[in-house]
This record gives sequence, C-alpha cells and structure tokens, in this order.
Amino acid sequence: MIAARVVSPGEPPLATVRALWVGPALVIVALEAALWWAGVFALTPLADLPIYYLQRYFVLDATSLLFLLVINSVFLGISVYMSSMMVTSAVQARYVKSRSALTLAFMVAMNLGVMANNLLMLWAFIELTTLCMAPLVAQGDALRPRRVAWHYLLYSSMSLSITFLGIMCLTRSAHLQGLEINFALDEMARTMLASGDGWQRLGLALMFFGLGSKLGLAPLYSWMPETYEAAPTSTSALLAAIQFNISVVAVFRILQVFRGQDTRFVSYELLIMGCLSLTVAAVQVMAARNYKRLIAYACVSSSGVIAIGLSVGPAAAYGVLLYIVSNAFVKALLFLTAGRLRAVYRTNDVKALSGVIRVLPFSGLLFAVGTFALLGFPPFGGFMAEMLILSGIVQSGKLTVFTLMCTMLTIIFVATGRSIFPMIWGHSDRTGRQVTESWVATLPKIGFVAALVLLGVYTPGRLGALLAQVAQSIAGK
Amino acid sequence: MTSPLIFYLLALVVPVFVGKTGSAPFWLAVQALALGAHSLAHSEALSLHALVSLFEVVVLRATLAPLLLRRAIASRGEPEADLLPSNLFTWGIATALIVLAFQFGAPALSDRQSLALGAVGATVAVALLLLSTNEAPAAQLVAVLFMENAIALFESLLAEPWPLPVHGALGAIYLLTAFVGSSLIGDPDSAGLDIDASAEGEAP
Repeated sequence: MIAARVVSPGEPPLATVRALWVGPALVIVALEAALWWAGVFALTPLADLPIYYLQRYFVLDATSLLFLLVINSVFLGISVYMSSMMVTSAVQARYVKSRSALTLAFMVAMNLGVMANNLLMLWAFIELTTLCMAPLVAQGDALRPRRVAWHYLLYSSMSLSITFLGIMCLTRSAHLQGLEINFALDEMARTMLASGDGWQRLGLALMFFGLGSKLGLAPLYSWMPETYEAAPTSTSALLAAIQFNISVVAVFRILQVFRGQDTRFVSYELLIMGCLSLTVAAVQVMAARNYKRLIAYACVSSSGVIAIGLSVGPAAAYGVLLYIVSNAFVKALLFLTAGRLRAVYRTNDVKALSGVIRVLPFSGLLFAVGTFALLGFPPFGGFMAEMLILSGIVQSGKLTVFTLMCTMLTIIFVATGRSIFPMIWGHSDRTGRQVTESWVATLPKIGFVAALVLLGVYTPGRLGALLAQVAQSIAGK
Repeated sequence: MTSPLIFYLLALVVPVFVGKTGSAPFWLAVQALALGAHSLAHSEALSLHALVSLFEVVVLRATLAPLLLRRAIASRGEPEADLLPSNLFTWGIATALIVLAFQFGAPALSDRQSLALGAVGATVAVALLLLSTNEAPAAQLVAVLFMENAIALFESLLAEPWPLPVHGALGAIYLLTAFVGSSLIGDPDSAGLDIDASAEGEAP
C-alpha cells in the first residue's frame, strides 16, 4: 500500500492552490439538475410521455425520467461529499478544477446518454462517460493507478466493440431480409424482422454480452473490482452508482425494441451470466480482506441478481427496477463512507479498521447500515426488491435458479458479515478521542439512507406508477 | 469506388503482419485518409455532411490522433516492438479471421457493400486478436483505434449517412480515446495517490 501524499514544506501554501469556489459551484450545479428533474417528474403527466427533443435524437420517456431522477439525486450527494473533501484534502484541492470539470462532463454525457433515442448515440455516450472517468480513476491509490485506468478503458472499449459487433449482425440480418435498419430506438423495432433470424439472434446475444461486461457480469467482470478498489472513493461512487445505470438503460432500450419478439435465448444468456456472476462474487467475497474490494464484489453480485431478474421477464421486472434504484443509493452510501474510513485509517484492510464505530461513530454506523441494505435486510428497498425477484423466479418455475440464488446470497451474507462486522464492532487497538466528523460530509449519506428506507417501506404513488410503466416497457413475452 | 477500401485494407493488414508499433501511427493515418476517400466516393454531392466528415477524417483521425499516439509510443520507448507477435500461429489466426470476415459479408450484400462489411469485420476481428495476443499498452491502444475506424467505415454500409450529431460524437470519441489512452500509457506510472484519502488533520 502506498501512503497518501502530503504537502511538503517547499510547496505553495494551500490557500493559493485551492479554488474554494469550485466545490460549492459543483454542488449548486448538481442541486439545480436534481431539482430540475424532480420538477419535471412532478409536473409532467406520465401519460404525456414520451416527449421528443432535438429532431427526435433525445427522448424523455418513463425509462429516461426514472434514471435521470436517480442519477441526479445520487450525484447531488456525491457532489456534496466531493465539495467537503476539497476543503479537507490538500491533494483534492490541487486537482479540484480538473476533477470537477471531468465530473461535470461525465454527468452531461450521462444525462444525454440516458435520454438518447438512437442506439449509436447511446453507444457513443457510454464510451464518452468512460473516457471522462478514466483520468479520474488514474488518480487513485493503487500501486499503478494509470495501469488500472488503462485496463478500465480497455475493457470498456472491448465490451463496446462486442456490442458493436452485435449491431453489425443486426444490420446484416436486416440486409438479408431486404430491410433498411433505422437505429432510432422508437423506429428500430419497425425496421427489424419480427420473427428474427440467426443473425438477429447472434446480434442480440453479442449486444447483451458486451453490455453485460459493462455491468460487471461474468465472465468479463474483472475490471470492476480492480477499478472500484483502485479509484478514489468518490470516483468509485460515480462509477458504481451512476455510470452503471447508463449500461442498464442500454439493456432496457434493447429489451424495449425487441419486447414483442421471442427472446428466450437472451433470457438464457442473461440467466447464465447472472448465475456465474453470483457464484464468482460469492467465492471472491469469501476471500476478500479489503473493504473496498468487498463492496466491488458485492456490485458484481448485484449485477448478477439484476441479470437473473431480467431473465425471468415480466414476473420480476418491477423487482429488478426497485433493486437497481436501491442499489444506486446503497453503492453511493458505501463508497462514500469507505472514503471517509480510508481518509482516517489510510488503508483498505478490514483488520486495521477493527472497532471503527468507536473511532468514527457516524461513519461506522452508516457503513453498517449500508452493509445491511446491501445484504437485502428490511426495511431497505433492497429487501423488497429481492423478495419480488425471488417471487418472480418461483412464479416462472425456475426453482434451480431460485435455489442457486438463495445459496449464493447466503454465502455472500455470511462472508460479508464475517469481514465487516468485526471491522465495525470488533476490538479497537486505537487510543485517543473519537475523530470529529463533518456534518456536511455526513448529510448526503443520511439522505441516501432515507431514500433506501423510503423505497423499502413506502413508494409514493407517482414513483410507483413510473416504476410500473418502466417495468411494463421492458417485460417481454 | 473500391480503391479506397483496398488502401484501407492494406493499411490494416501490413502493420499487423509486418509492422512495428512505431509505424502504427502512420498506418492509422493512411487508414483514416482511405476512410475519407471512401466516404467522399460514397456521397453523391459535396454536402455539409460530406465536408464535416472530411474535416473529421483529415484533422482528427489522420493528423491529431496519430500524433498523440506517436508521442505516447516515443515516451514509452518501445517503437520496435511487434504489433502482432511474429509467429505462425498468430499469423494463421489473423489470416483465418480476415477470410472469415469477408465470408460474413459476401452473400447478403452487393459487391461494394460486401467488401465494406468484410473490411469492417476484418478490422474488428484483427483488433480483438491484437488485444488478446499483445499485452503492450501501445499495441492495445492501436487495436482500440482500429476498432473505432471500423465503426466509421460501418457508416458507408447504411443507405443514409449517420446524422451529424452521431458523426460528431464518434469523431470526438476517437480523438478522446487517442488523447486519454496516450496520456495513460505515455506517462510513467507514478506512486499511488488517493486524493480522497489525504484529508488533513485526521491522524490515526
């Protein structure tokens, strides 16, 4: 482990290198975006959707509205955290402008990508978000941060190339039938063969495989734990809680285009990738002794649950959506809290953090709450979502999958508990006073916990209607 | 109309079989110019779209991106490394992939489109082979840029060219990939630095 860099006496004083206005400005932009989309959600009747913009290149429909609300709410919390770190961290202050600019560019690409009504544009925006994130990953604390960032970029390019190969196969399928393919998502279904030939199936399979690896699904999942562990924690939160969603949107868009067709082979593909991811995550969580890596493998298992849920079809669609929304808040909560732990302890090793709740009561408690939410405990949204997914699996008669999922989730629960619970409540060797925690940095995490509880115990009618509309749009035959 | 495609294929095949990493920027520039000539031949009139495409190809793909790549390769100090490992096994696989890629396009399309789809398929296949056989970051970046050129060539298969926003986004992505990739592989990897973990005043 490399120690964090400290400001040496010869370097310019912090006051000259800090751009203190950048942090609040970032928060203001994030707040405006969150309020804007909350306003749009409150004022736009769901029956009026979809609404098209800029020559139909962008669309505001139930799917885009839901994800715009989620990503901008989560970003508001992350921006508050980043802003608070800019005040306390000397190195943050030094990189503040470039970090903020890249983060904002990332969020613009995310917002536009979620609204894209063209498959190729959506593809381009996914790549763009990766290109914005790679330099931020390179600022992490791994032994070779640039190498990790390069691997992240490379994996992403490879995944998107596989997705592109899928697009090529769809084009070939259309040409073989004498059709001219249109990549506008609202028109695409009309320009595709309804019955679907071999090339179309191959294209779909490749697209789901490529996007699946962007979601961290096995077998191409290894970039995820490596990147999430090595990146600065705010970047890990951006990746896990925000960027993840653009790949989910891409998967949803493809499901929406092909929902009227027989996509059983895609269901099998998702099922295999999901089961494989859960198994891999269970094994790796058992071996992990590093809390950031542990969260990263939990993200792999979450992707597995999502893939299994999607493979089940209409029976689990609502549960999958609730799970995705809950997960965005859980991942943000856990990574931001992990950042706080790392800032104080300067290590990712769980053993070194034994008894963290005595040193950092708020962060320790929030980490415990986040872990319970991650493991699917009530009253959090994840519990309700997992129950709905499991119920959907039983309804669809896939009892083997049900057994496998329950077994793997139990293993993950036991293995996570074995590492995390002693870290939180174990014996602490540290002496001295508790570390003071800034309320500004804690506030967004409390907001995330509130959102998680709200999703678990009471989903407002309008949000429920939005979730139901999206669930209906992705549910195939 | 097929000669630009033949130049494009030459610029794909030559560096893969006999080229060194140091010559890759040159071949990428040749690929880009061939792409530009192909897209000009594809467009019936000199429209705004054709001019923007030409600008994107000449400035971004044929000039700026190869320059960035060249700088990164020079700073890594490995211009003499093979792009594709020189052995009969990889050469055999590469040849088979290129042949298969042309078979992929053959029955479905007209001769011209079939050649273009074959070229796209061959580029993607060769790029994936490069990625799986060469661990050198510079060669991997070249493979990624090959793939992005394949995507640009793919446009010529469609009846209508891509809308300008899509075109612009893909051009920007190409340049950004070259820029971010070059900066990541070009600079030596310094010791880690977690900017979130360097909070002050919190000594354990």
